[in-house]
Amino acid sequence: MKISLKKSRVITTVASAALVATAVIGIPSVAQAADPQCATANYITQCAGAGTDGAPYVMVAAANFNGTVFIWSHGIRPAINIPATLAPAGPYTITNAAEPGPGASEGDMSVINSLVAAGYGVAGSGYSRQSINVTEALNANVELIGAFKKKFPTTKKVIAWGKSLGAMHSQKLAETHPELVDGTVLACPAANPSNAMISYFGDALYGFKAYFDPSIKVGGYSTDPVVRQQEQLANIGKVLTVLGKLSAGLTSGAWPDTSSPAGKALEKAGIPSRSALLAVGLMAGIPTRSKHVDGTSGPTGAAETYPLAIAPAVAILENMGTVGVAGSLLLADGELLAGGRVFDNSQTDYAARISSDRDIFSMALSGDSAVNGILAALAATPRETADAAALAKIPGLIGIKGSITKPTVMIAAESDEYTPASIAQWYVDGYGDQFAAAKDAAITAAKTSHDYKAPVNKMVMLWAKTAPKYSKFTAAGSPDLNGPVGAGTGHCYYTSAQWLAAAKMVAGAVSTGKFPNQGPITSAARKVGLSYDKKFRVPTFKSLA
Amino acid sequence: MIRINRRKLALTSAVLAVVAMTASSLPAQAASDPGVTSTSIKLGITVPMTGIASPGYNKIPGAMKAYFDYVNANGGVNGRKITLVIKDDQYIPTTAVAKANELILKDKVFALVGTLGTASTKAISASTQLAKRGIPSLFVNTGFSGFADTKAYPTTFSILPSYYMEAKIMGKFLKDKYADKKLALIYQDDDFGRDALAGFKQAGVTFTTAIPYTSGSQSLPATGAGWISKLKAAGTDVTVLFGVSSASTAALANAYAAGYKTQWVLGSVGGDATTIAASNKAYVPLLYGAKGFSFAPAPTDSTDEYIKLFQSIYSAAQPTQTFDNNVVAGMSNAFLAVQALQATGANLTRAGLMKTIETKGATLASPFLTPLGYSATSHVGATGYWIGTYDPTGALKPDGGKYTVYTTDSGNGPVVESSYKRPAMPAKGLPN
Repeated sequence: MKISLKKSRVITTVASAALVATAVIGIPSVAQAADPQCATANYITQCAGAGTDGAPYVMVAAANFNGTVFIWSHGIRPAINIPATLAPAGPYTITNAAEPGPGASEGDMSVINSLVAAGYGVAGSGYSRQSINVTEALNANVELIGAFKKKFPTTKKVIAWGKSLGAMHSQKLAETHPELVDGTVLACPAANPSNAMISYFGDALYGFKAYFDPSIKVGGYSTDPVVRQQEQLANIGKVLTVLGKLSAGLTSGAWPDTSSPAGKALEKAGIPSRSALLAVGLMAGIPTRSKHVDGTSGPTGAAETYPLAIAPAVAILENMGTVGVAGSLLLADGELLAGGRVFDNSQTDYAARISSDRDIFSMALSGDSAVNGILAALAATPRETADAAALAKIPGLIGIKGSITKPTVMIAAESDEYTPASIAQWYVDGYGDQFAAAKDAAITAAKTSHDYKAPVNKMVMLWAKTAPKYSKFTAAGSPDLNGPVGAGTGHCYYTSAQWLAAAKMVAGAVSTGKFPNQGPITSAARKVGLSYDKKFRVPTFKSLA
Repeated sequence: MIRINRRKLALTSAVLAVVAMTASSLPAQAASDPGVTSTSIKLGITVPMTGIASPGYNKIPGAMKAYFDYVNANGGVNGRKITLVIKDDQYIPTTAVAKANELILKDKVFALVGTLGTASTKAISASTQLAKRGIPSLFVNTGFSGFADTKAYPTTFSILPSYYMEAKIMGKFLKDKYADKKLALIYQDDDFGRDALAGFKQAGVTFTTAIPYTSGSQSLPATGAGWISKLKAAGTDVTVLFGVSSASTAALANAYAAGYKTQWVLGSVGGDATTIAASNKAYVPLLYGAKGFSFAPAPTDSTDEYIKLFQSIYSAAQPTQTFDNNVVAGMSNAFLAVQALQATGANLTRAGLMKTIETKGATLASPFLTPLGYSATSHVGATGYWIGTYDPTGALKPDGGKYTVYTTDSGNGPVVESSYKRPAMPAKGLPN
C-alpha cells in the first residue's frame, strides 16, 4: 500500500511535469482509421491518430489511469482563412489540429495536466471539417471513444465535454449514443432551439445593414466557394469598419459615412448613431454588458449619467464585434450546408422585441420619438426570407433535443455574447420539465408498487454571473477596452479551476451515480467563482419570447 | 422483528403527535415560501439611495421602515415581525436587476416592495422573471399604466394612479379652467410622456406647443432655456409640465431668469419641493401659484388622521428629516403592504398574498383619498387625484380648502368627481 502510494505520487509528479508543454506526437497523414501511434515516457502514454474521415485525434493517459476518460470537443473554428488585415478576426488559418482538452488551443495545458495527473484519460479530435460540423464531430467522437478503449482497455467511464459548438457535439453524442457516454460537461453551450441562434446572428446583421451599411450581407451568399469566401471576408471587413466608425462617433453621435439613406435621415433628425446601435443590439438580444462594460459604472464626472446614456451602446459595440464576425461566417456556412437561405425575418416584429427595452434603456435610446424613428427606418430595408427546403435541413445539421439523461454539469456566463445565456436557460427549463415528468411518472408507479423511487437529479447548472462592477476608464474618460475581462462576460472565459471543478463534479456523479446535495455543490462552485443557484434565471431568446 | 417494528411504529406515532401538537400551538403556520417564518416576514426594496434620482426618493425606504418598526413594536402582522432589506440601485436599471437578484437569491425576501421607476421595474420584471417564479412585486412606485396589466405583469401591483389617469384628470381640469387659453406641454419622451399623451388625447385636450425632452437632458443648461424660448415664441398662457422634478426645476428657474410668466400646471411627479430644494433651495418659492395634483393627503395636513399618525411615527424614527410627500408615499406603501399581509392570514404564501390583493385589495384600508382599483383583472392602485395650488413653501394645498377628488381609469372611462369616503383609519393605524 505504501509502495503503491509512493508510486502513484511519482507518476503524478512526473506526469504533470511532462505535460507542461503540448506533447502531441506526429499525426499520421494517411486518412484512414489506422491504429494510433503511441509513445510512453515518464509514465504517460500519448497517442495520435486519425479517424476514417482523416480527422486527427490525440489521446493521453498516465500509468495511474483510473478508467475514466474525458472526450473533448473543441469550440467552433472558421472554415475559411482570415487575413491579418481583418484583425481582430484574423489572422486565422484553417486548422484541424486535435485538442485533448480546454486550454490546449491557447497553449494552456494546466487543466489537461491536472486531469491526467489525477488519473483521468483525456482525448480529443480536431474534426475533418471546421465551422458547422455536428455530423463530422459525432462520427469522430464515436471513433475516438472506440480507439481510446482499444488502446486503454481498462476504460470504464466516458465523459463527453466541450465548449461552445463543442458542447453541442458532446450533447449530440450523449443523445445519439447514450451507451457510449456516462456524463457530460457542457460549457458555454451552443444550441439552436427553434432557430434562435440563426435569428440572433441574422437580426444583428440585418440591423447593421438597415442603418449603417446597406451592402452588408445577411444571407444569399454565392454558391461558388471562391466567391462565397470573398463575400464572407468582405462582410467581416464591412462590419469591423462600421464598428470602428461607430466607436469614433460614440460621443458625438456621428453616423458612419456608409450609412443607409434611412440611417442618414436619422442622423439628420438628431438621433445619435449609438442609439441605433443599441436598438440593433436590443432587437437581436445581444447582452448589454460586455467584457469591459459593466453597464453600471461611469468615468469621473459622469458616474451617474454614463451608465444610463452611453454604457449600453458601448457594450453592444464591443459584443457586436463577435456577433458580426460569427454571423458572417456561420450564416454563409449554414447556407452552404443547407442549400439555401436560412435566416428569415419576414414576420419578425422588431417593435415588439424592444417594447420593454425601449423604456428600460430610454435615455440611451434617446427617448420615445427616437425609438419610433429608428423602428420606422427599418421599413426601407427589405426583410429576409429563408428557403423553406434549406430551413428544413437545419435540425439535421445542428439539431439537438436538449434532453439530459446522464449526469451533466453545465457552465454558462450570464453575459456571453456568442452563445447567449438563453441557451443554458433553455437547457435548464427543458430539464425542469423532464424532471417534473419523471417525478409524476414515479408517483404514478408508486401507486401500484407502493414503493416510491424519487428520480435522481442529473443536471447541475453553474452560472458565471456577471459582476456588478468591473469597468475601467482611461484618463480621457473613455472605456478601457483592453483591461481585464469582467467575470461572467465574454465567450468561454473560464479559469482552469472552474474547468477542473466542473470536470471533477461530473466525474464524481458518474462514479457514484448521483450528484451530492446542494451544500457541497454550492460550496465547490463558490470556491471557483461560480454560482449554483437553482432559482437564478436569465431571459429567454428574443426570438422565442 | 415484529416487536422491533411495533416499537418503531409506536415511537414514530409519538413523535408525530408531538410535532402535531407543537404545530397547532404556533402563532402562525410556517409557510414554505422563502422569506417567511412563523415569526418573521422579509421584504426587499431597491430604490435610488444615491445618484441622480435619489433626492427625495431616498427617503422612501426609511419611511417604510419606520412604519414597519411601529407595527412590529405593536405585535407585528399575525405574530410576524417585518424586516425590510434596502438596496441602492442608483436609478440604473442594470443595477436594479442586480440588486433585485440579491434580494431574491441572497437575502431570500418574501416579496419585493416599492420598486421605483418604470425602467427599473420593467428591467427587474424582464431579467429576474418575477412572474415565472411567482414572486410578488408589491406597490411599485411608478405610474406607468402597463403595470396594471395582469397578463403582462401577473405578480406586479401598482400603487400610484397611472400617468394616463392623471393626464385625463388634468385634461378635464384644463378644459374646465383654461378653455380659452393657449396651452403648452413639456413632457418626458418615454413611457411617462407616452402615457400622458394618450391620456390628454383621450381627454380631448389640444396643445398649441408640445416639447418632448429625453430623460436626463433636463440637467443640461441649454435644455431649460430652450423650452422657455419656445414657450415665449408660441405665446402660451398655460404650461403643463409632465416630467420629473428636476425638469420642473429647469423650467421654473429658466422662466424666472427670463422673466417669462405662465400658469404652470405640474404633474404629480414633478412638483416635489424636496427634490427641487436639493437642487437649490431658492427655487422652491418658484412653485408658488403653480397647480399640482396628488392622491394622498397633503403632508402638511395635520388634521388628517393618517398624516397625524405618520408624522408622530416618523418624527420619532427620523427626527432630523423633514416630513414630506416622499415620506407619506413610503409610509402609505408600507401601510398598504401590512394591510395586505394581515388580510392574507396566518398561512402566508406568495400566491395567497397576491390572491388577497386581487380579491380584497379594493377594500383594504389606505391613507389615499381615492378608491383602490385592485381586482382579479386589474392591478391598479389608487384611481384618482385632487387638485391644488402650491404655496410659497412648496406645499400643495387643495383648491377650495378641501380635497375634491376626481377618479377615472386608464381607458376611455369618464373623469368623475369621486363620492368615495375614505374609511376611518384602523385603531392606532395598526393592521386590523
